[in-house]
Amino acid sequence: MQSTRREFLGYSLAGLSYVSLSQLPSRLLAQAAAESALADQNDHVLVLVELNGGNDGLNTIIPFEDPLYYKLRPSLAISKEAGLKLNDQLRWHPALGPLAKMFDAGQVAIAQGVGYPEPDRSHFRSMEIWHTASTNKIVPSSGWLGKFLDQLPVPGNEVPLSGLALTGTLPQALQAEKVVAPVVSQLDTFASQAESKDLASKLRRKLSTSGGGELQPVDFVRQQSAAVYRAADKLNAATSKYKSSVEYFNNDLANQLKRAAQILSGRLGVRILTVSHGGYDTHSAQADSHQNLLNELATSLASFQQDLAGLGLADKVVVLVYSEFGRRADENASAGTDHGAANCLFVQGAPVKGGVVGQHPSLEKLGDGDMIFHTDFRQIYATLLEGWLGCPAKQVLTGEFPKLPLLKA
Amino acid sequence: MAPSTSFFAPFSPGPTKPFDRKWAAHLLRRTGFGANPAAIDSAVQLGLEDTVEQLFRDLPEEQSQYDQLFETLNCQFANFTDTGTSQAWWLHRMLTTANPFREKLTLFWHGHFATSINKVEDTQLMLRQIGLLRQHAWGDFRTLIHAVAKDAAMIVWLDNESNTKEHPNENFAREVMELFTCGIGNYTEKDVRAAARAFSGWHRDGINFAFNAEVHDTDVKQFLGKRGRFDGGDILDILLAQPATPKFIATKLLKFFATPDPAPEVIAEATDVLNRGHLNIKWFLRELFLSDYFLSDACYRKQVASPIEFLVGTLRTWKVRKPTAEHLDSLSAMGQELLAPPNVKGWDGGRKWINSSTLAGRVEFAEDIANLNAGDNPWSPHLPLEELVPAELNTPQTVVGRLVEIVFQGEIPGATRKEFEEFIVQNEEGPQLETFRDDLGFRQDRTRQLLAIMWGLPEYQAI
Repeated sequence: MQSTRREFLGYSLAGLSYVSLSQLPSRLLAQAAAESALADQNDHVLVLVELNGGNDGLNTIIPFEDPLYYKLRPSLAISKEAGLKLNDQLRWHPALGPLAKMFDAGQVAIAQGVGYPEPDRSHFRSMEIWHTASTNKIVPSSGWLGKFLDQLPVPGNEVPLSGLALTGTLPQALQAEKVVAPVVSQLDTFASQAESKDLASKLRRKLSTSGGGELQPVDFVRQQSAAVYRAADKLNAATSKYKSSVEYFNNDLANQLKRAAQILSGRLGVRILTVSHGGYDTHSAQADSHQNLLNELATSLASFQQDLAGLGLADKVVVLVYSEFGRRADENASAGTDHGAANCLFVQGAPVKGGVVGQHPSLEKLGDGDMIFHTDFRQIYATLLEGWLGCPAKQVLTGEFPKLPLLKA
Repeated sequence: MAPSTSFFAPFSPGPTKPFDRKWAAHLLRRTGFGANPAAIDSAVQLGLEDTVEQLFRDLPEEQSQYDQLFETLNCQFANFTDTGTSQAWWLHRMLTTANPFREKLTLFWHGHFATSINKVEDTQLMLRQIGLLRQHAWGDFRTLIHAVAKDAAMIVWLDNESNTKEHPNENFAREVMELFTCGIGNYTEKDVRAAARAFSGWHRDGINFAFNAEVHDTDVKQFLGKRGRFDGGDILDILLAQPATPKFIATKLLKFFATPDPAPEVIAEATDVLNRGHLNIKWFLRELFLSDYFLSDACYRKQVASPIEFLVGTLRTWKVRKPTAEHLDSLSAMGQELLAPPNVKGWDGGRKWINSSTLAGRVEFAEDIANLNAGDNPWSPHLPLEELVPAELNTPQTVVGRLVEIVFQGEIPGATRKEFEEFIVQNEEGPQLETFRDDLGFRQDRTRQLLAIMWGLPEYQAI
């Protein structure tokens, strides 16, 4: 009996629903499609990997030649010998071996000194700024990727699966005006209810999706329910066909990325997937926990990349790995670090132009004890929107943000 | 007296269209939360006019009882944030009040003056504002808007506390026109700036309104074609005299209580009615509830139940009277958090309530409530099945008949009813007619399962 709800929820969460499209006259729909800026779609996918809590960039990409680094981090500094070689000035955190390997293969770009003006050190507010691509006090209701999703053409009455969240709830970045992006919880719960032996699930599906009269709004709700079930079936079918020899580790991030690969293997027209990795708010005894986090991160990203290659999707997918802020330059008294500002981030994938973009921020000239940004995070967004997703940046971002050399020409 | 062809012509019950259980249930669903069989019976007994009169006659209810409860909730749900405590408190009031109509109207005004605790960050201010809306729920709109303009939560919410002669802040001045009175398109940016100056110095001192004369702009203003040394009160009165204002308010009331898409002719007539009653809400709603239009197919089952209507309606009908943290989670999953409307426009409502996530939220809630059991904790809620489905009912037809009556007021296609009857006697091994007849435990277990399905069905989402 318990499976009833889980199964249904799995289904429900899979669907994407549009505002009453069936109710719009077809002329209006055609007009809307014609006006869509992105009517001619590419099939490029962007996967967001959010490092929740504020990743310590200074101990991720390490300026090991700078003596100030060791002064600021008396107990947390990674020695030149322990760090993995990146170039003459930089070392990787030792847990990032698999990422370093992809970097050496030209599949990872590192952007340094990324942030925004007047950095906010609240997790909530800074994340809101990253998700909405706006530092404005009046917070936009749509997220930056929601604005992108809103511009994709809508395929009739069907539920498009253009944006999916693998996180627990819908991230602000996917909030949109026209579409409601679904949250896929566990693909494993997407068993087909049509074949389910569970009587309640079967009856619920039958009565929620078929029969009934033409009366509104009951019929509208029925259409919506039917669309949710159909979308769930699509995802379920895609998952069941997924075959891979790649062994992922068993942790939350790896599981999310594996599910992402499963969904992408179905070639359902997914353009945006979001995953998250929690635990980066390392205020005390940071060394071990950060080591574990980065180990999970690098191994999961490498498995995902390998999986995509095996599935023939390597050319279609770019991954953006980011965090709401970096951490304070000097460590605190608890062998941890407090909230900071400028940070590094990664862009990964076969289409990526590997390398390091931008200088490591100065450790001498700090702002309120934090490294100062020189690259606005919206430059990354502009680059990915225009260079990868095929969407004019001005449709999403307010203001001009010069693009960066993160992608192959 | 309105002409007899008008929408607001009084409903006159007759042999072809009596005020029967169907229309009584309709009236109750719209003016309260859900419609339980006993309430429907008594409404039919009383007749339409007396039932409507009764809506406006508060039964005695002790404010102190709710105040005490707030303390209890604070202790009971120690892990609640303040926001959660306040939300639970209001939810509990909705679940238990003897005057659900007043609470429903309070909810309407909360959506109209959509103030969020996420910015106000003070539960006391928020609950004071809700109290104000409750107090003036069906009074004169003029009194209400003047009170709201001086409400501390509103002053924080729309930044009027930083509105000074030197640095006017236009937030409240703009929204009072765009969202609270006449609506967009009925004023210019110059009017916004003039109104902002008139409201300068309308500040607060803690939880109370405080007029700060030193920073108030006493100069002459030009506002909506009038000239004078206006202050905020003058601006409100000028707005109330705009023809667009009764139309804006009447439309909103129609959409909330009658139908999501009222025709222009209906809006025009409703505007007249509101004008004739000098913006008195009670006058207007009484005319509406007694009208032929309200009690017609144009309004019948035309609303998608809001999450609050869905949740409180279900719980009240089934006599579950205790708010839990899970209920608050459910409301959030369904897309309506009390005291936290998404923005100053309030909830869009209607079809916007329904999408993949919110549908899941509704089904999850249905499962939760159907599976509620009495625990040892006196605070844990309980679904008293035995009160509504007597143990004597022991055939699939009678049990389903009773459930269909309570849940759908009997309105479900015959084929669906058949499906229910088949489902309720079955387990994985097939039909168990004898067990169903003899074993109350089995019967109740199957009843709970069926209820969880019923509450999630499209038919149940329309009220």
